[in-house]
Amino acid sequence: MAQFELKIITSNRVFYAGSCHCLILPATDGERAVMAHHENAILAVCPGEMRLQCEENGPWTAAVLGQGFCEVANNRVTLLSDTVERPEEIDRVRAQEAYERARERLRQKQNVREYHLSQAALARALSRLREVDKRL
Amino acid sequence: MAGLKEIQNRIRSIQDTKKITNAMYLISSTKLKKARRDLEATEPYFYTLQGALERILRHLPDMEHEFLENPNRGKKTVALLVITADRGMAGGYNHNVLRMAEKRIQEEKQKGRRCRLFVVGQVGRQYFAARRIPIEECFRYSAQNPTFNRARWITETLLVEFQAGGIDELCVFYTRMINGMRSEAAVKQILPVCRFEMKEPDDVMHENFEILPDAQEALSAIIPNYTAGFLYGALVESFCSEQNARMEAMQAATDNANELLRDLGVLYNRARQAAITQEITEVSSGARAQKRSREEERRL
Repeated sequence: MAQFELKIITSNRVFYAGSCHCLILPATDGERAVMAHHENAILAVCPGEMRLQCEENGPWTAAVLGQGFCEVANNRVTLLSDTVERPEEIDRVRAQEAYERARERLRQKQNVREYHLSQAALARALSRLREVDKRL
Repeated sequence: MAGLKEIQNRIRSIQDTKKITNAMYLISSTKLKKARRDLEATEPYFYTLQGALERILRHLPDMEHEFLENPNRGKKTVALLVITADRGMAGGYNHNVLRMAEKRIQEEKQKGRRCRLFVVGQVGRQYFAARRIPIEECFRYSAQNPTFNRARWITETLLVEFQAGGIDELCVFYTRMINGMRSEAAVKQILPVCRFEMKEPDDVMHENFEILPDAQEALSAIIPNYTAGFLYGALVESFCSEQNARMEAMQAATDNANELLRDLGVLYNRARQAAITQEITEVSSGARAQKRSREEERRL
């Protein structure tokens, strides 16, 4: 049962540090899985759902990722993201509000940077909502 | 010797000031605790991020990217992001950063480049306004409570400008904590990302990295993220240094007030004693004079 060292670091805490069997990440061009002895790589990660299996045939843990990137080197994986949350940490009401706010803002006329920010906020809110709804 | 009343007035005013400085000391010490906690929480991210980016740049193939240093792109405009506090009374904290930024502005002017100022915090805004140095944009209410959203907002503003060609270089002026007690003003160039500046250690094995989906797109995703992360770290560190500086300044002010109060207390007591002694002398000499005049009357 091959495993690799995984470290997930967010802007305000170390989310996970330990061994891992399989890690599935939302990349900019679809999902990507990382397993032990993956070749050295650098992945850009976009907002979405991340899944993590600590042991072979073990339970999967899900989390919601923000913008970030992942570095695979010598069987060690470092995932850096501005936000990582477990589904149970997500406040559905807050995510819904953020979603509506972002939609409303997108409907109005905006300059480029406001548009980018609203779009990013919308992506975050959507991935949170999707994750929460899956648990219900 | 000053009059009794005057000394008393001074003592009272110093006592009032001391109450204020002491309160500010207590406030900033509680804020410092929170800021330290934030700083500790963000430190692993901050340092891993920097390390990771360095590593990526080392393994990057020769390529051109809008965020990377490009000798063909002239440097006409330099953006300075200056992080200051919202309030003064923090010793040299604001002053150090501002002086550094101003010096840089002079240097850039001599090189014939234009400077655009982006300021965080009230003090910086007022400082540059007083010197009639135009400010491009100030990010208000962001020095007090640094959050990742604020960092994102600032990053977005600057990146859009950078991509549109409005700025060619971005430097951040902030205050770095050296350890728990000491901090110093620091400057860091964020954009364009300079890949030759980083010295390559000789003993590092050259591994090959596959960059997915491809190097262009990965950099486009990673560098904004790196910028936001760096800015967040800089904001948190500056806030922590600010509270630290204010705490120290207020501690010194309170100590000073205590010393002044002690000296003035001695002075006051001496003046009071002198006044009493004088009064007694007057009374007793008056009484003696009376006594003498009464005796003379009896003799006559």
